[in-house]
Amino acid sequence: MNSTLFLQLVINGLIVGALYGVVAMCFVLIYKASQVVNFAQGELVLIGAWACWWLVTSLGLPFWLSFPVCLIFMFLLGVLVQVVVLRPLIGEPAVSIVMVTIGLSIFFQALLKWLFGVFTQPYPPVFATSSVKILGLNVESAYLMSLVISLAIMLGFAWFFKYSRMGMAMRATAFDQQVAQSLGVSVKQVFALAWAISAVVSALAGVVVGLVSGVSASVATVGVKVFPAVIVGGLESIIGAVLGGLIIGLLEGLAQFFDAEYLHFGNLITIAPFYAMLLILLIKPYGLFGTRNIERV
Amino acid sequence: MAVSMRPAGDFRLSYAADRTIFPSRGSLVVCVIGLAILCILPLSIAGKPLVSSYWLALVIQIGYYGIAALGLNILVGFTGQISLGHSAFLGFGAFMSAFLSGRHGVPVLLSIPLAGLATAMLGLIVGLPAARLKGLYLAIATLASQFVLQDFFSRAEWFTGGASGANAPPVVLFGTSLPADRGYYYVVLAFAVLMYVFAANLMRTRDGRAMVAVRDHYLSAEIMGINLTYYRILAFGISSFYAGVAGGLMAHYTSFVSAEAFDLLLSINFLAMVIIGGLGSVMGSLLGTAFILVLPEFLQFLVRLTQSLGVTQSSGFTEGLAYMKEMAIGLAIVLFLIFEPEGLAARWRKIKAYWKLYPFSY
Amino acid sequence: MKRTRLLMISAAVGLALAAPAQAQQKIRVGNLVDYTGATSSVGKITGPGKVDAFAWVNANGGINGKVLDFETVDYGYQTQRSIQFYKKWKDEGAIAIQGYGTNDTEAMVGFIAEDKIPYFSLSLSGHLTDPSGASAKAKEGKIKPAPYNFFGAPSYSDGVRALILWAAEDWKKKGGQGKPKYIHLGDNHPYPLAPKEAGETLARELGFEVVPSIQYALAGGDFKAQCLALQASGANYAFLANTTGANVALLRSCATVGVNVQYLSNIWGMDEPGMKATGKAVDGLVLVAGQAQWGSEVAGMTTFRAISKMSDPAGNAYRALPYVRAACQVLYMAEAMRTADKAGKLNGEGIKAALENMRDFVPFGTTGMCPAVTWTDKDHRSVGSVSLMRARIAGDTDQGEFGDLMAKGTMKLETFADVKIERKPEWLGF
Repeated sequence: MNSTLFLQLVINGLIVGALYGVVAMCFVLIYKASQVVNFAQGELVLIGAWACWWLVTSLGLPFWLSFPVCLIFMFLLGVLVQVVVLRPLIGEPAVSIVMVTIGLSIFFQALLKWLFGVFTQPYPPVFATSSVKILGLNVESAYLMSLVISLAIMLGFAWFFKYSRMGMAMRATAFDQQVAQSLGVSVKQVFALAWAISAVVSALAGVVVGLVSGVSASVATVGVKVFPAVIVGGLESIIGAVLGGLIIGLLEGLAQFFDAEYLHFGNLITIAPFYAMLLILLIKPYGLFGTRNIERV
Repeated sequence: MAVSMRPAGDFRLSYAADRTIFPSRGSLVVCVIGLAILCILPLSIAGKPLVSSYWLALVIQIGYYGIAALGLNILVGFTGQISLGHSAFLGFGAFMSAFLSGRHGVPVLLSIPLAGLATAMLGLIVGLPAARLKGLYLAIATLASQFVLQDFFSRAEWFTGGASGANAPPVVLFGTSLPADRGYYYVVLAFAVLMYVFAANLMRTRDGRAMVAVRDHYLSAEIMGINLTYYRILAFGISSFYAGVAGGLMAHYTSFVSAEAFDLLLSINFLAMVIIGGLGSVMGSLLGTAFILVLPEFLQFLVRLTQSLGVTQSSGFTEGLAYMKEMAIGLAIVLFLIFEPEGLAARWRKIKAYWKLYPFSY
Repeated sequence: MKRTRLLMISAAVGLALAAPAQAQQKIRVGNLVDYTGATSSVGKITGPGKVDAFAWVNANGGINGKVLDFETVDYGYQTQRSIQFYKKWKDEGAIAIQGYGTNDTEAMVGFIAEDKIPYFSLSLSGHLTDPSGASAKAKEGKIKPAPYNFFGAPSYSDGVRALILWAAEDWKKKGGQGKPKYIHLGDNHPYPLAPKEAGETLARELGFEVVPSIQYALAGGDFKAQCLALQASGANYAFLANTTGANVALLRSCATVGVNVQYLSNIWGMDEPGMKATGKAVDGLVLVAGQAQWGSEVAGMTTFRAISKMSDPAGNAYRALPYVRAACQVLYMAEAMRTADKAGKLNGEGIKAALENMRDFVPFGTTGMCPAVTWTDKDHRSVGSVSLMRARIAGDTDQGEFGDLMAKGTMKLETFADVKIERKPEWLGF
């Protein structure tokens, strides 16, 4: 067994999986707060990537300045999307809401292709050293930046949901909207905030992918990887989403190893997360860390 | 959540009246006239065809996509499930029909229903685990089945021809093959009428009402003695049968089946057709399909109009319009859902009710 | 009911307006492009190439005075839509179609043969080069005879053969010990798969060791896992079969991983915008060129500047490699139409006959830019030699448009070889 390759694939899988976890975290945030399945998550990541790229290259702002500006823009965009598109649909059947996010994703894809063209655009070099060696594997500094920032975000979330008023309001809304509303929580504000935070964190993921492989429509494909990650981790838990992302990343690395060394199917790496997803749905549908929905008559 | 099926003021006074497919004499007449028009559409008067090949091709496409959309509506609209993998079933039907008629010489008019049955089997298998899941988990499970089936299509060379696709022979009736479009049109029309009548009748039967009950309030349905799992799996099976037949029709129309055509985008298009047309409405499936398929034509016409209005046919302008066309499709879906969440069928019903109750419009 | 009234009025207007346009007394030609679909990164360059070429032909005398009435449609790489538009154009009396990609071309082989309408594609699959069904592959039933398919460029199979022939020489020149290892990298789709068998067969014949292929998605993504596998395989020559978008991501990922391999690229696998996006990682890549790059000191450049001016009056635009390739297809068609018209047979069969009489033909005024093509009624492999280019990156490519970077010399494309590919009978349709 080629142990160097194995180790490298495992580490690479975990690093990439951390990114999936970040995007999955955004998805679960929206789902927990407003019960909306956001099929446009990949497009939010892409918008973040393009917005930051544009700020850096066209306006010439240094990265440490344009990144926060981009995040502020994404915050406002998240609020706008929620207010304009999703608020009128509160109370509609779930399938309509899924469809509306799909319509949004089609709209955004075309809009971004129009605004920024269809060619892949590279980011200017942001870090002094573009890659760092970890256990014999070259890892892009962008991934390390995202690891650090996402850890900070997770700690921030933990504090936010446990100790701040708005955080507790969000948890209350996620638990039972009607009761929260009757206690004076503005459910509309909670929804808007959930979308805004999700958009901001998606932008982080977008910037990382952009730094690593250039900004193009393919950045949005990470939005599809979200589904296996949240299913494995459980839809109701943010920590579960992150862990789910890591597991999926690890699974991809292992799949590539077995495919390259023994099986030679060719595309096991692409298909393995979906088989895993099906398996989990059959055995443990609420995910490894989700809560069982108890139905009361 | 129960969607109100009738606007206020529209009552049924007997069980027989409640069970009819056509709520009034008027709708029956309109339906018959519509069918007559559809029958004469591909004919030519004095050598010049009534309708150009292009529009005929579009109507044929509406025909078989309409069958598939109806299948999805049975699953999503009538039984309250959700499926993001519908195009994979369409693909399975297409490949199966091409396989049976191309490699094994089964006559095409037989291979299409057989393909439907085979796809129904597949749907039952997929439905077995799916019946235990609800809401988002079901959506994601069907999404996974979409990817898994697509992977199967591109790998199973013995069945689908792998990445190079499969050839589907044309329809041969009594020894002569039908003239490409004008002849095939009638095949599609016949199948479409059959499938639509079948669906409308299904909704009148006990099974149909049971499915609606499962959608509306599954706890009460279970208390009344309806076996939830049985009906959910049945709904998957029936919707897959429709998808299989539609796939077979599509295969023999394009005469070439390739795995690339059956992707997630197509599944999403079906969902859009069903939602825009109206969940839980048989006629709505057809309206929604027509809307989704005619929308790009309409936009393309606008593009052509702006081009011919003297603006130079420069490549830059055409490109910008191409993106606007795509954006318009996404925007149309979003706007429709915001302003017309119950779909075209509901709006049509409200129009009819308006005229029926005039001047007491509600 | 206001909303309903509005809906009804707009529906009525929409239906009234959506009537098809009247056919006109011109030469109808269909033109498929992809600006918004899966291959739009290449389509965005080739589309304008074709449109500008059409406009230039019309502005310079047309077809013996007749105007080309072309309709450009963005079909978003969806086969169904392409079939529909084909039927429409057939109804309107089109006598030729400028097609686009693998999916639409392969789907229409049967239709166009039946309807006798020549189809020029930017899909250069080797499967389309057998017009009469005489090849071994056709006899095995693996391909369909394609009498009405034409493309004036090296096929994917001939392209990979040229690369492998060069690689064999390169290995000897580098003093490599033992058998060099060859690997095919691509997605499981018709376009990347088209040259796979041809490449691997020739590689084996020339003494390469063929390593199991690795898949990477056409859509792009992070490919470090595939790059690690590539590194572990020990390959010396890696053929990238996908389009530019995916190759950019792959080259960047592999540069980070530190893979040491000579990259070989398909004809649509790398172009100037792709070089800009990839940066230093693309340095040294060898690609199938098929024709000269923009700004070459050849006679044909004047004509192409005129063609480019059709959409860029200032004349400053730098046109990437795919632009010229696409424009050439329109020019071959126009020349064939002129010949057919002079012979009094301006229809599909006449155009086919005119094309199949071309021997080492270069459209007027394009010497050096469009390749010299030869078509016969038994063999649609149009070029007998394939030019190869090497990509060179001298600095950072993130600032400035790709045209400026080429002008400044930060990015360079060097044509360094012209590999002769014999028209072997066993390679027909393969």
